[in-house]
Amino acid sequence: MDASLLTVQPASPEPIYRQIVEQLRRLIAGGQLGAGDALPSVREVAGFHAINPMTVSRAYSLAEAEGLLERLRGKGMVVANTSRSSQSESRRLAMLEPSLQALMRQTRELELPAEQVLRRLTALLGEQP
Amino acid sequence: MNAVRQEREVTAIAPLIVRDLVHCYDGSNVLSGIDLTVQPGSVLGLIGRNGAGKSTLIRAMLGLLQPLSGTATVFGEPALKLSDRSKERLAYVPQQPEALAWLTAQQMLDYVGRFYPRWDQSFATRTLERWQIPPNKLLAKLSPGERQRVDLIRALASQPELLVLDEPAAALDPVARRELLREIALRAGESGTTVLFSTHIVSDLERVASEVAFLHQGKLLMQCTVDATKERYGRLWIPGQISYAAPTQSLSRRRHDDGSLSLVVERDAQGQWPEAASLPGARVDALGLEDLFVEIAE
Repeated sequence: MDASLLTVQPASPEPIYRQIVEQLRRLIAGGQLGAGDALPSVREVAGFHAINPMTVSRAYSLAEAEGLLERLRGKGMVVANTSRSSQSESRRLAMLEPSLQALMRQTRELELPAEQVLRRLTALLGEQP
Repeated sequence: MNAVRQEREVTAIAPLIVRDLVHCYDGSNVLSGIDLTVQPGSVLGLIGRNGAGKSTLIRAMLGLLQPLSGTATVFGEPALKLSDRSKERLAYVPQQPEALAWLTAQQMLDYVGRFYPRWDQSFATRTLERWQIPPNKLLAKLSPGERQRVDLIRALASQPELLVLDEPAAALDPVARRELLREIALRAGESGTTVLFSTHIVSDLERVASEVAFLHQGKLLMQCTVDATKERYGRLWIPGQISYAAPTQSLSRRRHDDGSLSLVVERDAQGQWPEAASLPGARVDALGLEDLFVEIAE
């Protein structure tokens, strides 16, 4: 994995270490990162994004504690063996929950009928990337 | 390198400490009782509006001006009577370029390099080129931005244990600014360099700072880690008809035209928002640092 695969938005209300963990979670759940894949070193990530290395260490430690990553001697951080299999569809769906909540709230604020929003969402999901 | 690290561990006292610092210009208080400690290896971003007293605070912390009252220490020594040994260990880049204007950038760097035991000449030469400084032009003939870039190169090449930068971003284009942030981040992380920098570009601070201190009207409003600040504060919105139930304690309070209220609120020790956040119709939005400061400084 390359440090440039991660995006960092310093101005976001979400702390950078959480942004990194969230992206790792998605990359692993989506299969872009497979078990045993090596992660870039703390220095590489910190240097590429010009962020504090402690922030990267904190993200890696949290991901390790969650079982997403494991520390291999001599290889540094790698994607943990178990992480993909434990990501059932419902777990992956749960990751969308915050975005869905935000969508629900904005729909209500705009007083839009649910059918129209769902129709648009369905169309978006049906589109080829 | 090992010897240097060990030596640092032995002297792990906070590189910068000020206590109850008071200073004024023309009778009006610029600093009214500042307490601030910069821990070894931390990167402290000092933020505040123009004229908030950031430069004055930095100068007082380094002993470059005598405050009306209060104490400042650098590496444990009184800032106003700093030993040569301690001066070698710190580098300070002011907003206004300093002396030696009769030398070229190359001559100045060659000259000052002799005074620093850990001077990195190849870094100086490399960065002079990368930051597009004409090496053989007199410093006096460079633009203020170029002068500050030369000063930044001098500061970084001396490999200081304590790096103090006053508004370093002003002189740099986005690419050079990113390079400076990268230097700050990696040096703090790998060599344990302690960094204090002032800025009003909040996203720079959010990238590299481990801690943020907010100077407002002569006082430090908060000093805590960047992550904790983002997690701890939020904007609570309460609809007009129940705004009587708003908490009385908040960092800022704004009433909208429709009678609803926006408050900046803080989680309690258990991580809970104030009770009013769970009232029907009320909601808490996450708040970025910039929004937080704008709300509080207004």
